[in-house]
Amino acid sequence: MPLGTLNREPPPFFRQGPSALSKLAVCSAMAFLLMVADVRFKVMQPVRVAVAAALYPAQWLALQPINAVESISEYFASLNTAQEARDAAQNTRITQSLRVNQVEQLILENDRLRKLMGLRDRLQSLANPAQVIYDAADPYTRKVIIDKGMIHSIAKGSPVVDELGVVGQVTRVYPLVSEVTLLTDRDHAIPVLNTRTGARGVAFGDMTTHADAMELRYMAANADVAVGDLLTTSGVDGVYPPGLPVARIEKIERRVDTAFARVYCVPLAKVAGTGHVMVLEPLNTQIPPRPTPDPRPATGRNGATK
Amino acid sequence: MRPGQQLLLPVNPLFVWGSLLAALILNMLQNMGLWGRATWTPDLLAVVLVFWTVHQPLRVSIVVAFVSGLLMDVHQGALLGQHALAYTVLSYLAIAIQRRLLWFTVPSQAAQVLPLFAVAHAVELSARMLAGGNFPGFGVLIAPLLEAVLWPLASVLLLMPQRRAPDPDAHRPL
Repeated sequence: MPLGTLNREPPPFFRQGPSALSKLAVCSAMAFLLMVADVRFKVMQPVRVAVAAALYPAQWLALQPINAVESISEYFASLNTAQEARDAAQNTRITQSLRVNQVEQLILENDRLRKLMGLRDRLQSLANPAQVIYDAADPYTRKVIIDKGMIHSIAKGSPVVDELGVVGQVTRVYPLVSEVTLLTDRDHAIPVLNTRTGARGVAFGDMTTHADAMELRYMAANADVAVGDLLTTSGVDGVYPPGLPVARIEKIERRVDTAFARVYCVPLAKVAGTGHVMVLEPLNTQIPPRPTPDPRPATGRNGATK
Repeated sequence: MRPGQQLLLPVNPLFVWGSLLAALILNMLQNMGLWGRATWTPDLLAVVLVFWTVHQPLRVSIVVAFVSGLLMDVHQGALLGQHALAYTVLSYLAIAIQRRLLWFTVPSQAAQVLPLFAVAHAVELSARMLAGGNFPGFGVLIAPLLEAVLWPLASVLLLMPQRRAPDPDAHRPL
């Protein structure tokens, strides 16, 4: 019986249910179990999908006022802004059209040369346009939610790009939305190629220096890297198509006490405020499966296993 | 019962569940529309949960807290079970103090629920640190303060339907 109400029901004297302490024990044990299953064994995705489907109406409801405010503010944006945006877009199109024409010719030439040399054709990624709805609220990671999901046949692991470069990778797929882990997330790694030197490396997300940064790890202290180098995807991972711009090197620290240089990079894509993105199909659905490893132990030098 | 306090009407269960759902939706709105990925935002669902656990411990209890924690986890894309654990602990502590808390004035109640919110955020932070996340910044220290500041507001808003007159007439709508 709550204190100070006009409630006329008698309080249940005999059926009080389990004690608060036992409920605490059971519920926290279940929470621990869920966390371990999520982090260690990664088996909670079906549960997530089910809960997300149940939660979707509430999310949709919460999005309505946001969409309304956005459309109202768009409506009142002046004609001037629209015209300026159109002029800017036209300028970019004109400057790009020259390059596009050259690219057409280069692709043709490349095709012929590849055929001449008997190389495999470059893989083409299918693209699926999507829109970023909101940033995932979890402050410990860097993720965004896009408005395409299972029913739009988005695959887990698909690369996500915007007009400037790679944004990240799809890590969880829900029925109507999916979750994209950004390049700047701490656990996100992307194989890159330094376009100036041709050296391959791996760039990781790095939130320690400033909010949206990356780090090129495992570069030897005397490696040939310079501030301003462009890093593109190398294409060796079977996920990202090669040649997409990823980041530019911002700062290099070479210390005496470590064998590696600390190389800080800034992602080229608008990772923080991105609106429209393209979800590409991962390349590993198109390349032939890996050959089964030879059962007898290899003698001689160890080849690269990846 | 505190001297000078109004006798309240019995609570409408639909209002309790509706306010919990509204708090969940407002939490989503804070994330999706207003502040994005911010650490300092007050968790309204936690405030409403503690409020109903203190005022209606027979209706809203630890299991409700656990389930709403799971919903928050899935919405945020966070570690599954992180909010569930934090809300479970929060709700247990609220049950532990519920018989004492309502004897105090509302500002003093707010001061007494502040440690509860701080503990809940600490549980969440330590769970994430153990699972290998990085420290999100000192904004996490502001969130429990804001939640405690919202307590008086919650006391006014959520008790409003129970403060209506027991015999309504046309000249006195409230």
